[in-house]
Amino acid sequence: MTVEGPRLFRPGPMLEALEAESVAYIVIGGTAAAIGGARHVTFDLDITPDRNVANLDRLATALRKLNGHLYGMPAAAEDSFQLDGKTLAAGSAWKFLTDHGELDISLDPDGTRGYKDLRSGAIETQAHGVTFLVASLEDVIRSKEAANRPRDREALPELRRTLELKRRRER
Amino acid sequence: MISGDLLREARRRAGLSQAELARRACKPTSVIGRWERDEVKPSFETLRELIEACGFDLRVSLADHDQSQDAAIEASLDLTPEERFARLEAWAAFLAEARKSAA
Repeated sequence: MTVEGPRLFRPGPMLEALEAESVAYIVIGGTAAAIGGARHVTFDLDITPDRNVANLDRLATALRKLNGHLYGMPAAAEDSFQLDGKTLAAGSAWKFLTDHGELDISLDPDGTRGYKDLRSGAIETQAHGVTFLVASLEDVIRSKEAANRPRDREALPELRRTLELKRRRER
Repeated sequence: MISGDLLREARRRAGLSQAELARRACKPTSVIGRWERDEVKPSFETLRELIEACGFDLRVSLADHDQSQDAAIEASLDLTPEERFARLEAWAAFLAEARKSAA
């Protein structure tokens, strides 16, 4: 079992805030791995939003409602940071600390072509009265293989075995 | 992973349709579909060529077979995705609480 953290992590309110603003996104990373069947414990919610600016504007609104602050940004610099769709579109990855834990945004996760690419394999899931899309285990593995960080390499054997056993059941 | 899954995954990653892969590999489109659905299995060499046509190398090596985690993974797969999400939340809450207690 892979365990990160532990830190405050309440994904429910984060999903509710995204839903309230009608943000189009896909849950990726450790949370997607756990939902896909891996015995993975994570302490952040990773998402890939649709990168059109109107959607990213809605995401910015949700982040403000979650009291999101850019991770690692000095308080003095925070006043000059404009949290809106245009700003989010200018980067590829953002890490926000919210009142409910860390919300990581990746517009182009490693090894993928972003939202539209992940959308085709994503699976609808429900929690907290919210229906949301979760990246397939295949895509989580694909991204972790491409990222190839030490923690990805550590998690991959179990993810691959989970996928293998899952496919065996589906046959 | 069986050959059909591997071939479909390679084709998807490459962003190719079955027809495009068939053209690249000089095979009939219908055969690509039958291989992906595991109705018939390509030879190892054919599979390797198809994977290459998708832009990847098929690397094979020998490793000890490890089934030590299978029971726990199977138990996880018995849950619905919603139950797995609830379990993740419960674990995260438990570990965060444990951290607070230890501090």
